[in-house]
Amino acid sequence: MMLVSTRRHTLAILVSGALLAAACSGSDSADSPNATEAPATAAEADPDSSEPADTSDTAAQSTEPDEPAPLEDADQLTSEGEGNADLASLEPVAGGEITFGLTNDGTGFDTTGAIAPGSIRVITALNDSLVGLDANANWQPNLAESLTPNDDFTSWTITMRQGLLFHDGEPVDGEAVRANLQAFKDSPIVGFAMAQITTITAVDELSVRLDLSAPWASLPYGLVGQPGWMVSPSTIGTNETFTGTGPFMLESWTPGDGARVVRNPNYWRADEGLPYLDAINFKFLVDLTVKRQAFEAGDVQGYISPGDEDIVDFLEDDETDVWIGTAGANEYLWLLNTTAPPFDDLRVRQAMAHAIDKQFIIDTFRSGLTIPANGPLNPSDRWYTENNYPQFDPAAAQALVDEYEAEVGPIEFELSIEPNASVIEVAEVMMSFLTDVGIDGKIKEIGQGQSALTAIQDDFQAFSWFQFGSPDPDGEYPFFHSSGGFLNWTNLVSADIDAGLDAGRQNIDEAARKAGYAQFLQALGDEVPMIWVDHLNGVEAVVTLPELHGIGTPGLLPDGSASLAMTNGNFFAWPGVWIEQ
Amino acid sequence: MLIFVQRLGRLVFVFFVVTFVTFFLLDQAPGDPAERFAGLNATPEVVEGIRANLGLNGSLLERYTRWLGNAVRFDFGDSIVTRGFSSWDLIRESLPKTLELMVLAEIMAIGMAVPLALASARRPGGFIDKAASSTAFGLLALPAFVLGIYMSFVFGVKLGWFPTIVDNLPGLNDDPLNNLRQMFLPSLTLALNLVAVYLRLLRSDLIETLQEDYVMLAQARGLSERRIMWRHVLRPSSLNFTTAVGLNIAGLIGGAFIIEVLFAINGMGRLVIQSVILEDFNVVAAVVAILTVAYVMMNFLVDVLYSILDPRIRHGAR
Repeated sequence: MMLVSTRRHTLAILVSGALLAAACSGSDSADSPNATEAPATAAEADPDSSEPADTSDTAAQSTEPDEPAPLEDADQLTSEGEGNADLASLEPVAGGEITFGLTNDGTGFDTTGAIAPGSIRVITALNDSLVGLDANANWQPNLAESLTPNDDFTSWTITMRQGLLFHDGEPVDGEAVRANLQAFKDSPIVGFAMAQITTITAVDELSVRLDLSAPWASLPYGLVGQPGWMVSPSTIGTNETFTGTGPFMLESWTPGDGARVVRNPNYWRADEGLPYLDAINFKFLVDLTVKRQAFEAGDVQGYISPGDEDIVDFLEDDETDVWIGTAGANEYLWLLNTTAPPFDDLRVRQAMAHAIDKQFIIDTFRSGLTIPANGPLNPSDRWYTENNYPQFDPAAAQALVDEYEAEVGPIEFELSIEPNASVIEVAEVMMSFLTDVGIDGKIKEIGQGQSALTAIQDDFQAFSWFQFGSPDPDGEYPFFHSSGGFLNWTNLVSADIDAGLDAGRQNIDEAARKAGYAQFLQALGDEVPMIWVDHLNGVEAVVTLPELHGIGTPGLLPDGSASLAMTNGNFFAWPGVWIEQ
Repeated sequence: MLIFVQRLGRLVFVFFVVTFVTFFLLDQAPGDPAERFAGLNATPEVVEGIRANLGLNGSLLERYTRWLGNAVRFDFGDSIVTRGFSSWDLIRESLPKTLELMVLAEIMAIGMAVPLALASARRPGGFIDKAASSTAFGLLALPAFVLGIYMSFVFGVKLGWFPTIVDNLPGLNDDPLNNLRQMFLPSLTLALNLVAVYLRLLRSDLIETLQEDYVMLAQARGLSERRIMWRHVLRPSSLNFTTAVGLNIAGLIGGAFIIEVLFAINGMGRLVIQSVILEDFNVVAAVVAILTVAYVMMNFLVDVLYSILDPRIRHGAR
């Protein structure tokens, strides 16, 4: 077996929706173990900065971090089988089609709305983003030829490449980009992610200028995700189809079943031989046993793994490749609505954090593969710093509960959760920890794919959640900042959180950004608006036949440099996927 | 003719009652579909406009009447969850697959049950009877999800004879071989559960009929055993069997949810369950209407078959 790790950024997936706005990226929570819920954003995602190396010698370049994003986790799990060297020696061949299993169904393709994980997975083949991520998770122009900021980062100019066409033959010009960005910004659901943009102006045939209300040095990361997805202007807001710019075109989508995409003969990178595949059948397979049997029978050539079981089971299987994202994965957590009782009281939130044994959950439900979380950033992330998030301490939890109950009364709450058996199992165990200290929680199932909408409407007390896989912390901005509106899931307003996130967004200096994110993480640990469980690195995976290549290996950006692998958060790596004939 | 008119009147009555009750129950459900469809920050005017478009404005009776008027034209309104699709669009995708699954399963089940029942009834207690009865009880005891996974594993994974999932199912006219190959395992799984029931029912009635005087007379006249069984025993023994087949067909039009999940078929069962979970009321109402018609029609057909199978019913002797 070949176990190749990759850094997966998980996309954010979003689950549901939402999302995103902001930055986002991520993976499908759907894929995550358990997943189900999560919101995501597809919106921003990723990378980093400024113009293309060969075109920019201005401030744009200066915006790039001095050091590459940390990917030290990547490839720590290396191939035991044919190995990367063997893979590298294989020449891609064009042709063929595959069936790829999805965990979540899609709900449509409206880029100005909440997009479900299943839809995002399909969009990854239909779309190219304005901005891409290189192998170090730094942003690089992709569909755009360059992104150039002014001196103080209060204005960015996006210049498109010549000759780009949408699937319907319409040009991808400055006006089309303006129309897409404006529609996104105007969306009541996802527009908060672009709230800082005051005006969007088509400067000339190929350029668009974004004027901002405040400096935003990392804005390009936001254009990796949903805000950077361009569709033909006449189809903006259309839910049943996606007329994008990507390597494949949507041939059919059947809700509840899946979608079929076919090669785009006019793909803008066709002269590179891309894409290799003729077609991809995305098939919605809700049941794990069915998915496994279909894979073993060769009826699907790859699928998003729902968790640790696949990794453990396939580890010794020479006929199966498991591509594991080892960085940038989503987290599993509970959102707490801090504006509604009982979670409007800090003591209750702290008591819950103290009551739950995260390591027990990891050992029991993740085969010990994940890492305990104290916040949205993984310890391997270069922006990570430790905080004072309450650790497992039943006695401390009991004391806080006793104090609260003496003043207010019994602690009771409902946990909203999508009907996913494996997630509910985890939630039930967490509930039992809470029961031990006198907190009475009940599970309230909501509809599939309804997490984001329910959270946006504040119709919850606690929420089982998967999210926060953005490659850059700025991608999480709207989900924590008080200006995030609907997307500030927990409704917590914290001056420290706002100040920290603003510092990270507005500064280009790495030390200043790190200080800002340290302030942000510390405030999160103190305020406990979320009950963190684990970073899902190591259990978010894609299972493939050995004959299918390009899923877990880096792709190529337009300038020839390596991009992140699909399993590390680069959703748009489908052009480089090929299958041995 | 009178019977036909009576049945038709009954169909219409049942349709009204069931659809109205469904409408009433959906109306009592919490939440406002119009607000949900409108999304966040929608103005009251926008919500009202959407309410009108979805046919949700007015009193319950007004809405029901309007819905009914549209339903006869197969206009059941838009899906509230899957924007861009009408309820009929979703049903039109699912219903053919479910119908094909149902028809194939019934053909397989009847094709297996009738010969086995005849063979069993000819020699009650004989080897065939014992083997068939044991197998039938075994199949009855096996839940569909166990049987389906097993069939998929053996014939799909191990032998590779059939696909384990239904994927991009071609039309029966377009590529019948591929279509039937994909639908074979789910149909067989469903059929095996039905065979057990059909076999037991038909065997019992056959044995009872074989005790009739006219059968002994036929034997005394020297008619072949095969002729007696197929021509003179099977038909009058088929009433209960026919009833069971009719009810199963009607029920299966609503989808075989477990089979559909096991073989990834986007059929009516999955559509119904998903629509209920997601509170996609227009789709639920449309599906209920179609199922109601299907149920009543099937019962009507079974009644007609009764009179064909047994002339005494046609002539009011029974």
